[in-house]
Amino acid sequence: MTRKQRRLILIGSALAVLVLAVGLVLSALKDSIVFFNSPTDVVEKQIAPGARIRLGGLVQQGSIVRGDNLQVRFAVTDGQHTITVAYQGLLPDLFREGQGVVTEGMLEPGGTFRADSVLAKHDENYMPREVAERLKQQGHWRDEESKKAKGSTR
Amino acid sequence: MIPEIGHFALVLALALGIMQGSVPFYGALRNDSLLMATAVPTAVAQFVFIAISFAALTMCYVGSDFSVVNVFENSHSLKPLIYKISGVWGNHEGSMLLWVLILALFGALVALFGGNLPITLRANVLAVQSWIAVAFMVFILATSNPFMRLAPAPGEGRDLNPLLQDPGLAIHPPLLYVGYVGLSISFSFAIAALIEGRIDAAWARWVRPWTLLAWIFLTLGISMGSYWAYYTLGWGGWWFWDPVENASFMPWLITTALLHSAVVMEKRNALKIWTILLAIMAFSLSLVGTFLVRSGVLTSVHAFATDPSRGVFILALLVLFIGGAFVLFAWRAPLLKQGGLFAPVSREGALVLNNLFLVTACMSVFVGTLYPLALEALTGEKISVGAPFFNATFGPLFLVLLLAVPFGPLLAWKRGDLPGVAQRLMAAAGVALAVMVGCYAVVQGGPVLAPLVVGIAVYVIIGAFTDLAERTGLFRMSPKAALARAAGLPRSAWGTMIAHLALGITLIGIVGETQFGTERIAEMKPGQSIEIGGYDIRFDGMATRPGPNYSDQIARFTVQRGGAVIGEIEPSKRTFPARSTTRTEAALMSRGFSQIYVSLGDPSPGGTIAVRAYHKPLVLLIWLGTIVMVLGGLLSLSDRRLRVGAPKPARSKPVMQPAE
Amino acid sequence: MTLWFVFALMTAAAIFAVLWPLSRRGSAVRSGSDLAVYRDQLDEIRRDRAAGLIGENEATAAQVEVSRRLIAAADAEAAVPRAAQPATMTWRHRTVAVAALVLLPVVAVGLYLAVGSPMLPGQPLASRAPDRQSIAHMVAQVEAHLAKNPNEGRGWEVVAPIYLRMGRFEDAVRARRNALELSGATAERHAGLGEALVAAANGVVTAEALGSFKAALALDPAHVQARFFLGLAAEQEGRLNEAVAMWRALLDGAPADAPWADFIRGELMRVAGGKGPSEDQVAAAANLPPEQRIAMIKGMVAQLAERLGKDGSDIEGWLRLVRSYMVLGERERARAAVGEARRALAAEPDKLRRIDELVKGFGLDG
Repeated sequence: MTRKQRRLILIGSALAVLVLAVGLVLSALKDSIVFFNSPTDVVEKQIAPGARIRLGGLVQQGSIVRGDNLQVRFAVTDGQHTITVAYQGLLPDLFREGQGVVTEGMLEPGGTFRADSVLAKHDENYMPREVAERLKQQGHWRDEESKKAKGSTR
Repeated sequence: MIPEIGHFALVLALALGIMQGSVPFYGALRNDSLLMATAVPTAVAQFVFIAISFAALTMCYVGSDFSVVNVFENSHSLKPLIYKISGVWGNHEGSMLLWVLILALFGALVALFGGNLPITLRANVLAVQSWIAVAFMVFILATSNPFMRLAPAPGEGRDLNPLLQDPGLAIHPPLLYVGYVGLSISFSFAIAALIEGRIDAAWARWVRPWTLLAWIFLTLGISMGSYWAYYTLGWGGWWFWDPVENASFMPWLITTALLHSAVVMEKRNALKIWTILLAIMAFSLSLVGTFLVRSGVLTSVHAFATDPSRGVFILALLVLFIGGAFVLFAWRAPLLKQGGLFAPVSREGALVLNNLFLVTACMSVFVGTLYPLALEALTGEKISVGAPFFNATFGPLFLVLLLAVPFGPLLAWKRGDLPGVAQRLMAAAGVALAVMVGCYAVVQGGPVLAPLVVGIAVYVIIGAFTDLAERTGLFRMSPKAALARAAGLPRSAWGTMIAHLALGITLIGIVGETQFGTERIAEMKPGQSIEIGGYDIRFDGMATRPGPNYSDQIARFTVQRGGAVIGEIEPSKRTFPARSTTRTEAALMSRGFSQIYVSLGDPSPGGTIAVRAYHKPLVLLIWLGTIVMVLGGLLSLSDRRLRVGAPKPARSKPVMQPAE
Repeated sequence: MTLWFVFALMTAAAIFAVLWPLSRRGSAVRSGSDLAVYRDQLDEIRRDRAAGLIGENEATAAQVEVSRRLIAAADAEAAVPRAAQPATMTWRHRTVAVAALVLLPVVAVGLYLAVGSPMLPGQPLASRAPDRQSIAHMVAQVEAHLAKNPNEGRGWEVVAPIYLRMGRFEDAVRARRNALELSGATAERHAGLGEALVAAANGVVTAEALGSFKAALALDPAHVQARFFLGLAAEQEGRLNEAVAMWRALLDGAPADAPWADFIRGELMRVAGGKGPSEDQVAAAANLPPEQRIAMIKGMVAQLAERLGKDGSDIEGWLRLVRSYMVLGERERARAAVGEARRALAAEPDKLRRIDELVKGFGLDG
């Protein structure tokens, strides 16, 4: 094999791997990205039922209704709009009324959001990034100090 | 007095660092050996001063000196001693001081043990290392000074957060830091080589053990963090593709690539420029990781924009070091003498392939981690890139890489015999195929992916043994002779084999947990049972049990299999009244390498309790694999002897290879 | 003085680290090189061959390759002049020595003086003996006790009023809550919680606090503290008549020597706009809305609003403004003021938080 051929093989295989990777990344970016929305976004963008999204906001005070078999319904609000979320399963420790939450799932035709996961993080001070963001814009933000205190008054 | 001594020592270390960064560098430029020689004592002194500074801060924590703001904010006189100490690096300021301490430690080690390095190389390496330290010390003093004082001192500190008092949190960050910062050495070597415009044989000889050391700590740190998340979060997950996790995983991938390319460079004097590029990338990614975690950019792009002092500072450091390194690379790399080209089918070729896949896999993680940040900064649109993205990109790339893994060690340097190697791997492939089919038959029409991946894992493991058998001549000689040869094998060869084997072990754990695990969520009344993974779990009732500073609400479960009682597990809801916080404590029961994992939800008024139960087959293999991987690394590290990739004369029987 | 002595010692050590190598001129500086590495490698091959680890052919081939590199390296080394070993100190070394002698101390001390606090001694907990009897220390002791025995309602009860006095309102609320939960409900405990809640909400009787006082009254209809706060709640909602009526009833039923009677009379006076304390006058003030007083308050509020419109950085001002609007019953204006305050203080999260707390207290965000 000549030097030239060797070099070509080297460059060729590098390109092949790169093309493979770029292809994978692009297709994954198309399929597996989930957009984050606040209740207001859902209303304003008129998100179609069936599309997979993340919905985040505060759990509205007094909105948690528990049903049989770990069914639970609660309302997620951002101060302007409110969307009812239906979920079946265990809620994370940090899930509380008045606290931030991010749920993932899809809208049902009736306007209820059916969540298949409710997210929380291991840090008690952690507020999901998107939620903190939106709430801050809308003036609902309390930083960790007051959150801790708030959590502790329960 | 103690905090001020620490403060002054830090400032002094900074001043000394500026000296260390400029005098030896100037000496190297002028070929003045005396000036270059200053690098050694200054590097050692710099480490000593930073160590004094760190010790002073630790003493402030231990003595609960609340006149130091940092101690006041992050400690409490009632914390157990170990958490007072771990509190030193449990906060931003202290952790940055630890960062610099490790940086200086590595610098001092190079100074002390670098006697056999060419003197100009040593001077330049220490100068570069010092500039990194200087930059971070300026950062600490300007934006994150742990020695700020309060007068009068408050009576009590602010933090007694029981949730953060966990041994996992105490050990995991320093391990990761040693890994991150250890990469600074290969970075400094790379920059020094670029400055000098040449790469010595000593360069490669040095870079590999340092990189290996950093890699060992990174592996341990990542693995510990993962296990910590697994047992504390109560979700049964062990990897979330969270940006913080990715920030440590990306340097790991590149460091792994660097380890392999450094072998080629050491043995074959090739891939020089590429190795330098990898060294720069590895440390750059660990800087990016520090930036992501420390700047607050992950919590919110806007938090970063409203309180930008720290973030902007780190960003400036990033631009300076990464940008500077790449500019230097673009300018100087063409001057370096090219190593020889080599045949695509050879061990070198296999290692290049390994590098290609590792680097592209890292790039896919990079895109997935930073794309949402970039998109939000540019358009304001918020997206989340989660596990599906990484599984779809990183997964396939890594699986293909795994297919190639056993080929590498079996191929000879310079000219490899691909069909021959394939033939030798036939046994491995055959067993793997059999396992795959068997697995598919047992699972019966489940996902095709699971048996496939199990097969690949088995193939990697047997491939590693094939390598061993080939080198010891296990099936060609008497067992005694083979044993003698095994004992004589270089440790680095054992290291390679063990690390590759470990890869297969971890993979089996991952498949077992993700593909064959079962999960059940149920509301249970006392006396009720649920079945999971062939085990019956009976809920016996609730009880309360007081702890030292909490009270546990325990749910008792009896685990049975086929009617026979195996044991009891007691997950709980742990309440800390001092903080009015509640934490779920999952309970784990190990059965071989598998685990039963039970976590509690909220108790309902009717005496029932929500239960989340998992059966996680082979889950422990995930971490066992990483530990074995680390053992392989340690073995390899203990092998200080250097070997030369000897070309094998064509036609000679594939007896033994002069191993790496 | 000791401190500066230690500093001087450390600086001297740092200078020494730079000067020491410079002073060793003439002595050979050890330098590793490629030659050493290649020689090592050759030795290695020899050892391996002796041990039977590599075959004859491979060993020879490897030896040839390494030797080739060794010769190349030796040639390269010969081409480069050895590092200069001047016998005397050159100007270059002198410059560096002077730089170390002058710059190191100047930079270090200069920087330190800019950021350090040399006059402040260290104050580890153990050395602060005089502090031992302070309230803070007592609280710390109780907290230590509670950290170990968190289920002891009594401890929480003891610490709650201290928290309140120290201004740690959130902690007081927590302590009161725990006491209530652990020791059982009494009028006293409910009222105590209410009081803490009011303090935590900057003196506003929030809906939650009101609930606590009502719970206290359900257990003990004559509970003085609860009745007082109920009146305060009425006042804050603008129902002055009711407030006055409640407080007067409280005074009517008071024993002659009640220590709190004067306080309530004072409050009545405040509500009545500083008029005399006689009951008739109070009643009069309450019966016909004191237009003068309201007008005056409104004038003050308008002034405040105007000032804040020009310079919005005064958090206390904003809080006062919002509270005033609420007391005046002008909810919409209060809400508008909150919006303005948030815009004005957008860059200051600490202050924003206080606004948010106030908003929460009033239930303005619903």
